Amino acid sequence: MNPERWAQIEELFHRATDCAPGERCAFLDKACGNDAELRREVEALLSFDANASASVGGTVRGGLEDAGFPLTGEIISHYRILDGLGGGGMGLVYRAEDIKLGRKVALKFLPEESVKDPAALGRFEREARSASALEHPNICPIYEFGEHEGQPFLVMQLLEGQTLRELIAAAGPGKPPLELKNLLDLAIQTLDGVDAAHQKGIIHRDIKPANVFVTHEGQAKILDFGLAKLASLWSAVDDRESQPLRRSVEPVVAHENLPVSTPDMLLSRTGVAMGTAGYMSPEQVRGEKLDQRTDLFSFGLVLYELATGKRAFEGDTGPELQEAILTKEPNPAHKVNPAVPEKLAQILQRALEKDREKRYQSASDMRSDLEALRLEIAPRYRPRWRALAAAGVVVLSIASAAYWFAMRSVKSSAALPAIKLRQLTSNSSENGVGDGAISPDGKYLAYMEREKIRLKHIETGETRKIPQPANLDTSREGFGGIGPWFPDGTKFLAASYPRALHAQEMTSQGSSIWIVSVSGGPPHRIRDEAYLDSISPDGSLISFETHKGKFLDREIWVMGPEGEHARKVFEVDENNMVFGVGWSKDGKRVVFQRQDGPNPADSYFVSGDINGGPLTKIVAPFAPESMQSGLWLPDNRLIYALNEPGFKVTTCNLFEIRMNPQLTEFIGEPRRLTNFAELCAKLQNTTADGKQVVLHEWRPHSNVYVSELQADGTRASAPSRLTLDESWNHPLAWSVDSKTVLFSSDRAGVDQVFKQSIGAVDPESLLTFRKNENITGACISPDGSWLIYMVVLDKGGPTNKIMGVGVTPADPTAKNDLMRLPMTGGPPQMVLTASIEEWPRCARSPSDLCAIAERSADSKQLVFTAFDAVKGRGRELARSNVDPTTYYHWDLSPDGTRIALLKNRDNRIEILSLIGGVEQEVVAKGWDFLKSVRWTANGKGLFVSGYGERGAAMLHLDLQGNAQLLWEHPSVVNIYGVPSPDGRHLAMRGWNVDSSLWLMENF
Amino acid sequence: MSHLIAMSDTHEVTLLLAKWAKGNQKALDDLTRLVYRELRHLAASYLRKERQGHTLQPTALVHEAYVRLVDQTNPTWQNRSHFFGVASRLMRQILVDHARRKQAGKRAGIKVPFDEAVSFRRGRSRDLVALDSALTELEKIDPRKCKAVELRYFGGLSMEEIAHTLEVSEITVRRDLRMAEAWLRQEMTKRVGVA
Repeated sequence: MNPERWAQIEELFHRATDCAPGERCAFLDKACGNDAELRREVEALLSFDANASASVGGTVRGGLEDAGFPLTGEIISHYRILDGLGGGGMGLVYRAEDIKLGRKVALKFLPEESVKDPAALGRFEREARSASALEHPNICPIYEFGEHEGQPFLVMQLLEGQTLRELIAAAGPGKPPLELKNLLDLAIQTLDGVDAAHQKGIIHRDIKPANVFVTHEGQAKILDFGLAKLASLWSAVDDRESQPLRRSVEPVVAHENLPVSTPDMLLSRTGVAMGTAGYMSPEQVRGEKLDQRTDLFSFGLVLYELATGKRAFEGDTGPELQEAILTKEPNPAHKVNPAVPEKLAQILQRALEKDREKRYQSASDMRSDLEALRLEIAPRYRPRWRALAAAGVVVLSIASAAYWFAMRSVKSSAALPAIKLRQLTSNSSENGVGDGAISPDGKYLAYMEREKIRLKHIETGETRKIPQPANLDTSREGFGGIGPWFPDGTKFLAASYPRALHAQEMTSQGSSIWIVSVSGGPPHRIRDEAYLDSISPDGSLISFETHKGKFLDREIWVMGPEGEHARKVFEVDENNMVFGVGWSKDGKRVVFQRQDGPNPADSYFVSGDINGGPLTKIVAPFAPESMQSGLWLPDNRLIYALNEPGFKVTTCNLFEIRMNPQLTEFIGEPRRLTNFAELCAKLQNTTADGKQVVLHEWRPHSNVYVSELQADGTRASAPSRLTLDESWNHPLAWSVDSKTVLFSSDRAGVDQVFKQSIGAVDPESLLTFRKNENITGACISPDGSWLIYMVVLDKGGPTNKIMGVGVTPADPTAKNDLMRLPMTGGPPQMVLTASIEEWPRCARSPSDLCAIAERSADSKQLVFTAFDAVKGRGRELARSNVDPTTYYHWDLSPDGTRIALLKNRDNRIEILSLIGGVEQEVVAKGWDFLKSVRWTANGKGLFVSGYGERGAAMLHLDLQGNAQLLWEHPSVVNIYGVPSPDGRHLAMRGWNVDSSLWLMENF
Repeated sequence: MSHLIAMSDTHEVTLLLAKWAKGNQKALDDLTRLVYRELRHLAASYLRKERQGHTLQPTALVHEAYVRLVDQTNPTWQNRSHFFGVASRLMRQILVDHARRKQAGKRAGIKVPFDEAVSFRRGRSRDLVALDSALTELEKIDPRKCKAVELRYFGGLSMEEIAHTLEVSEITVRRDLRMAEAWLRQEMTKRVGVA
């Protein structure tokens, strides 16, 4: 093409692209005149203009991709290679699709050099097969072996996530890549996998960051189990093509069976050693025969690096590094990174002992120590890897665990037994576990998950669902209790409880006992109106409680193993209660607890013969009202969980005390077993030998959820979770523009008020309280310029003071401070001091009314008084006669003309008029009792919360009492709502409980 | 042997760039040899080690090669332009060589249904070879446009950097590229039947 012509075409091309598409034709008509060829060429070019840049760029990128991953696009065996995933010492890895099975897999090609010795390859294949046959959740499974043109490959599970190597690299040099909680969780998971392999006699030999994968879900997966032996076959090859960018070497692992070079030779041949060689154990460096303890050393190095961001051993050259591994003591981890607890440093030190006799002897030992540490320092931590930031949507599927965490000083643990704790379940807070019971031989765990019974093989993790029996009326009852097991280990008992609206007192009423057989089939019911208790040592008698009195059950009965020959053995009158049976070894005597009247302080132990005779009252050497749960061991020991003075009710510690064989007295002093700082675990059951005990750990937290409202608030979208952390979060109010939710949170250990826009991820802190101060309610002034809030001094009670535990009326003698905080910033100031019932309330502009509710001196009236954020207390607005013993919920209508008043746990709402209008009563149709009340934004309806069949419920109630269910949240705690002023959103408090089962040993 | 970049390489490359700037053609040959080696090495490293989680950008390789090969204590704009001019051409050559080898080595007789084999991918190697020959053609007609494409796609330079290197205005670079891209796409379509 001659230059003039080219220039002409280009000129027209550019001018045409400057025209609007519709005008191009006209332009070309004019510009090209009669030169049809010119016009054709320009038009052709124009037709290729769109996406031309992407096309050229994509071609270049594709070429590069192909250069790196030559098999991309090909079909090998029944695998369609999709693209390259990466590569390392072992060769290239592709993402592929299994055409036969329709699943995505990873294909890992082994370098050709690896096949030079067919016998070695066969050995490798056998070993890798056996490793992959482990089917452990923390080991990446290998599905198949194949060969493509002499190149062996293996087909593995396709994982999404990253390796620890990438995690470390992403953190940057010297920076620990993980928070302690995630680190511990990951370490425990990894050791689970290592332990499973070791138990089968398989050693990894090449544990390193690149071989531990973390999925997006936070699951650890060990890669390349059993492959390290193979690596040694080609490690000596100097692959010039793939010389690493950073100084590193390919897997260099000694193998006892191979007559090849020692690591030393390999290292000197490759010249540098910072890669895998950096994770070798001393015995590996020396080329000695390896056992499973080599993996523990290597993993210790990985863990050290994760904890500190630095390698434990460093050296610029291979020999230097080897020298360090053989002779140098690593800097203690807590000195490198002060955030590392000393105990973790000790664990690392033990893992990194050069003498393998001094090292951890098994992965499970190391794991136990890590687990104990996890529980000790951060009992409520569970992994949460996903960037929660991505979640404008509901994040319900994410395991959330850690909640408010104000670290209390833990007493010295010097005198405590070295208890081992092992986590048996790891369910999300939306799918928490209930009761659990271990089989007499310690092999199985039966537990509850969302009212379904599961049976888990503890070692393999394999879990079976027990089918639901046909005669379980799920509208009326649901499984809730598990255990105990019969001594032969073939059956255990389960309990169903009534789905009563407020089944907060668990009694025999509506409860049933069921037998569950391990060998299969649904549970069958053996007794109704019975509260499950215990089984005698020989399995011949089941004890249960029945006949509810004024408080709990008043009779203890026994029956045969199939529910036959039931008979009453002990009873008290209706003001008293009995519960919690323990048996003497011969099964003739029992000890139980009795409580006289409603006060738990009036409880004590009683023992007696199962066939009648005199009873012995036993006074315990501890405060029985502080006992949260107890468990009788086969040797007449009682283990009990005690809420100790000065600790929150959510903290308890375990003690044990012995009884004499006749069960007539406690012997000796109680012995402390634990020193938990922020944890209460409920005792569940024990194995036949009494050496393993199952604990149920329970950790509540709350979050702010926001629903979009439609149709004047009578319908609501599924709520999305606004707060994504694991502390106590409570919605307080909305900004006047309805864009921002104000909520309280104790995420930092003290109460704070935050504001956060809907859809935003990060909240902004408005106010931080002192350690002993709690915010207990708030509202926004009508003009939107002040946040008005109530603050009380913490008296050591439960943290959850907002709308959850308010069940007694305001004490007229105890005063709260009502404060105001300018929304635009500035220091808070006092508005007034009063004994305020529930929250301060404000109407919306144009009304300027705010009000508080106080009790009259005799507590028989609730007095509503106006106040102004700046001027303070105003005139009395109204009075209402109320029950002096019950707490009331109320709200001021947005226009400031009416007050809605709800007695706690009632379903009738009084509407008081402040302008002389008619008083009205709204009765919620179909709902027994309600827990909170708020006006809708338009003042035509109410948002009330209560309890439905599936948990806490949020309702829209019109003033005729017609209820529309807006949200049901699986929890037993009130979900009060705060509507936005524009009526488009409702912020609610959702309650999440993290729970898990633990195995306690060595106590 | 190690491919660790020795200080001498850096000195050498910087020196060669200077010599070349003064018109020494032998310097360009030497420079090409050094840069080529480094690029191949980098490409292999990236592909085999650093791939995961990243989108491959050949341009990143060229930039890394520059940082590694040219004395950064005294970088001159001229050196940078020259270097990228050489390196982006070399990158093209490396990739196309590979694509050609792959095409040549393509075995017949994969036992899969025809439609699967075809519909799945249309062969990136073939596309790259087509792009290369179209570029060669373009160079004959309008060498500056060919250079602009190389710098842009194989060298990863910004419009501004290309403008500096080619000593034209940024607007001209944009116009060059737009025309070249449309033309290349047209030519590739002619060559492989698909765009």
